[in-house]
Amino acid sequence: MTCEGLQARLTAFSLGELGPDELQEARAHIAVCDDCASRVLLDRQLTALLRVSAVPAPEETRAAVLTAVRAEAGRRTHAPAGGPGRRRHWIALAAALLAAAAVVAAALLVVPAPSPASPLAAAWSSYHHLGRNGLGTPSEAEADRLFAVLGRASRTPDLAGFGLRKDGWAARNLAGHLAAVAEYRDAEGGRVTLMRWRGVLPPMPNGSDGDELAAYHWGRHTSYWWRADGVVWCLVGTIDQDRLYRIAEHLGGESKADGLG
Amino acid sequence: MDPEGFEAATVPHMNALYDAAMRLAGNHATAQDLTQETYLRALRSFGTFQPGSNARAWLLRIQYNLFCTQYRRGRRMPLMLLDEGEADPSLDLPSHEPGPEEQAVRELDREAVRRAVARLPEDFRMAVTLVDINGLSCAEAADVMGVPRGTILSRLHRARRRLEAILLPELGRVQADDL
Repeated sequence: MTCEGLQARLTAFSLGELGPDELQEARAHIAVCDDCASRVLLDRQLTALLRVSAVPAPEETRAAVLTAVRAEAGRRTHAPAGGPGRRRHWIALAAALLAAAAVVAAALLVVPAPSPASPLAAAWSSYHHLGRNGLGTPSEAEADRLFAVLGRASRTPDLAGFGLRKDGWAARNLAGHLAAVAEYRDAEGGRVTLMRWRGVLPPMPNGSDGDELAAYHWGRHTSYWWRADGVVWCLVGTIDQDRLYRIAEHLGGESKADGLG
Repeated sequence: MDPEGFEAATVPHMNALYDAAMRLAGNHATAQDLTQETYLRALRSFGTFQPGSNARAWLLRIQYNLFCTQYRRGRRMPLMLLDEGEADPSLDLPSHEPGPEEQAVRELDREAVRRAVARLPEDFRMAVTLVDINGLSCAEAADVMGVPRGTILSRLHRARRRLEAILLPELGRVQADDL
């Protein structure tokens, strides 16, 4: 084998991908050629260097993955009723989500009596006392991160056409999901909160489990849920249900069109 | 459904999955998201996993498909591995006991290596990630990426020669001082 021949087969040689004849020729050449022996050494050093550059999963990632896997496994094991693991996950998510939605809640909401069958309602009742913190705007780094995770779904949609003005947005950690949360108000003091995170829709009490628009009621407050392009959207507010539905339909249509584009 | 069997087969590969996700996605938040979604998909299709086959290759295939179909869509991913100003202290902790060769280079700037890999075109970067960093065979990497084995070999060859040129100072130090 020539030097050129060895160089062309260097990677295959290092990886043990040469056939027996070529392997023997390569070995015979390296034994008598210092330049090519150096090249083989350099290749070995490079792969050693590459191996140590591996990035281990941070603890935060491990915890998030294991929590999601156990919740999903619990749900699947106990289907169709929804297993305890899954339910715990959704209680945690709903609690965190409602902590964000408590911005809407503060003074205006009448807290519903929690139904024992509804983890969402139970979570709601436990968070109704939270005061209004205000959302403001996220830092540039937070906005970048939201965009990296959610893409165009991270943008705060303009709802001026529905009589709602933007009243701040933020990045929130909803039970391990990075969520974009936006708040709106109308002239009468009615409030609407829009939350988006990457994930799957919670199992709805009414059994709907597709990517279609689903409604869920927290007392007199209605929430609309849908999923587009891997992103869960949740719209909740104190305004009347018809108006909220029209907004959900508008946003749902837009988000799905975005997903196709 | 055997959740314990699933975890036993897949959790040991989480470092590899996260590393590959970081190299594909370019930032921690997306990498974590991609890793989590990969595990959920793997759980749903665990029934099709052949016990005894390479679970790491199986997971990486699911992840790569997910990335290509859901994450890359129409959007340019950042090329740099780390966000500017976002230093993650956990990145300095190797996940396994280094062997003698690895000890020899442990003092080198790992970040220089990561950045050099991050600058490779995506197909080259993925081949290096699968084979050189995460230990898949060429045949397994070919299965993950859906290309012939010869294509993986050729991408690896070209990627390694490029990396050698970029990292020659670091490689020189290994040679002179440590080996």
